[in-house]
Amino acid sequence: MADSAEDIKKAFRLYILVGIVLFAGTLATVAVATVPWLDVGKHGFDTADLVLGLLIAATKASLVAAIFMHLNHEKPWVYWLIGMGAFFGIAMAALIFLAKFSPIHYDQFNDGGQGATTAVISD
Amino acid sequence: MEIPYVVTPRKDTGLFNSKIAIWLFLASEVMLFGGLFSGYVFLRIGADYPWPERTLPVLPGLLNTFILIASSVTVVFAWASLKLRKWVQFQIFMAITVICALVFMGFKSLEYYVKFHHQAARLVDYTMVEGHIDHEKEAGHGEGHDEHDASLVTDAKGEEIEMNVQRFQPETISFDLLRVYEPWVEDMLAEASAAGASITLADEINLNREGESDSAKQFAAGEALSLELLKKIAKAQTSNHAFNQSQRTEYLREAWDLKWDDVKSNHLLGEAAFVAAFPAGSELEPAERAKAFKRWKAGMRANFATDVTIESVKVSGGEAVPVLLDGKKFAEIERPEATAAVFKVAPGAEPLNLRFKNHDVLTDYRDGLTSISLRDGTTLAGKQGNSEMVYHYVDGIDFQYLVMQAEKKGIEPLVAIENSWIIKNNPEIAEIWEMHQQGVRLLADELSKDGREPTHKDRYRMGWQEIAYYTRLIDEGKGVEDVEIDPSAKTPPREKMVMTEQFMGPDYSRHHFPHLAIPRAEVAMDSKFTPKWNTYYAIYFTVTGLHGLHVIGGAIVLGYYLLFGRKMYLSNPEWLANRVEVGGLFWHFVDLVWIFAFPIFYLM
Repeated sequence: MADSAEDIKKAFRLYILVGIVLFAGTLATVAVATVPWLDVGKHGFDTADLVLGLLIAATKASLVAAIFMHLNHEKPWVYWLIGMGAFFGIAMAALIFLAKFSPIHYDQFNDGGQGATTAVISD
Repeated sequence: MEIPYVVTPRKDTGLFNSKIAIWLFLASEVMLFGGLFSGYVFLRIGADYPWPERTLPVLPGLLNTFILIASSVTVVFAWASLKLRKWVQFQIFMAITVICALVFMGFKSLEYYVKFHHQAARLVDYTMVEGHIDHEKEAGHGEGHDEHDASLVTDAKGEEIEMNVQRFQPETISFDLLRVYEPWVEDMLAEASAAGASITLADEINLNREGESDSAKQFAAGEALSLELLKKIAKAQTSNHAFNQSQRTEYLREAWDLKWDDVKSNHLLGEAAFVAAFPAGSELEPAERAKAFKRWKAGMRANFATDVTIESVKVSGGEAVPVLLDGKKFAEIERPEATAAVFKVAPGAEPLNLRFKNHDVLTDYRDGLTSISLRDGTTLAGKQGNSEMVYHYVDGIDFQYLVMQAEKKGIEPLVAIENSWIIKNNPEIAEIWEMHQQGVRLLADELSKDGREPTHKDRYRMGWQEIAYYTRLIDEGKGVEDVEIDPSAKTPPREKMVMTEQFMGPDYSRHHFPHLAIPRAEVAMDSKFTPKWNTYYAIYFTVTGLHGLHVIGGAIVLGYYLLFGRKMYLSNPEWLANRVEVGGLFWHFVDLVWIFAFPIFYLM
């Protein structure tokens, strides 16, 4: 932990730098989504845009966690607590994904949706 | 008593108390938001309708992201200032943090307000229409309205209301005395008064017993509808009903006693009766037989008094209603009841055309209905009035869902769209659609240079920018051949959006949007842009709303340290620094959630 006055004064510069990087990352997120010549993959929103957007978000989140939340120099207990939360969070999401293979599941997961069956054209 | 380890770390963990506590709490928050984001993933994967991709204006979300990042920086500066024992510097940074939180909530509130006042409808043929509703001016209904506030008109009481109404011309109105919603009765009375119509009790209601003549329980036919009258009838009814119910209980008890005496004296629950009713019982093992006998006896006990019947009570001038035991009259329920009061409507110079909000009418709409029910149990019999859903401004037409349904049935999308209600019945929108097809052709030519093609959204959704562009061309006397695209934009042709329009939606004084009256029978479902509209908005409001509550909670805690932390700073500054650090950790987590929420909801 940055305890000494000297360490904290140095940390000010680091916080400002990280803040600038976060601002830049936000602009980058919007740019890759809205600027046409930065559109990767197919035209419009596709998997490449999804991966790129989430990668930028994950990088920003890591910086916030490591620098602002001091996770880069925390005690092991904190890492255990976060790890527990992350483990159960991933397990929860995984369980829901695994429900796809249950006999009782939504058809939409397989074929992109059945939807309502009323007539498309009324006459 | 001194609380240990609020400043000094524990030897085993190396941490002070609140550090462990906040990380435990944040672990639970990871579960909370993780669950919600997982829910988003599944709602999107499993959606049986075209997911609204990139339909929210980006600028409000972008500004909110900047604001939260800035507040994350300032909150950690505030903590660092406390560690350096710089009180004023701490106050400045913490004040900026709290102000950022308030600005964030301000932008969020504005976004929510605009969405809650924007109307959407899904037609029976799966066309989606978006815009602002009003009532048909030409039909002469409703009062005048402010041009800039197109969704409001004044009602018979002079109050401004938003119009998404069904109209009905009642001949009779039946009120459920116990459930009737008084504001609706007041509205009906105001509209009747304005139209010169009268609403009076259709038949006499007499809730007196035979031989009684309490005037408080007698209501003459022809008495004018009023809230007081309905309350008086309800009071008489509930008093009679309570008496009848207690009578019913007494009679049931008496009947039970009589039957039980009968059972005992005739040994109807004895072994012989069991053998007669259940001959196969003798073949069972003794233990099984004993269990079966016990079960049979319990069943008989429970069911032996089922032949006590009480007829439904009716209003009929105080006629008593019999209680039957074994088919014979055993007693009488004495007091008549009336759960509904029926009124008849005498119109004035013109028929009384009552107005009901669409979502207050329970009966599914179809043309030619002769009776409708409202949510409070009121039923009206008569004739439908003009119930069109009228858009003063249509600023969005989305055929994606219609195309999705058409493709499932093997129908060509463009054929399906040409046969949709909106294209067949509105020449202006049909012309706009023609222009849009030209715009999409131009876009397809442009994208083909890179080996790409327009998306479904490009082809089949016309947002407000597209519609505003096409209507401008029409107003300038231009046609399909004049449609142009900006090759660098890689979108269908659009009007440019100014900054205020990013927050408030299109400026209706700058752009021309079509007017559209949709027959109610063509509307399958309508809603504002609220959680009701579709699962995208449901999960959007859930996540951003819960996140907003976290912002408010965090701001309250940080504001407390800002305003009331001086005393602790003077007595134990390190303790305050630790508390601010822990509050800051929560604040950073709130920022983390938004770092994911912004791209997921606004950019994907």
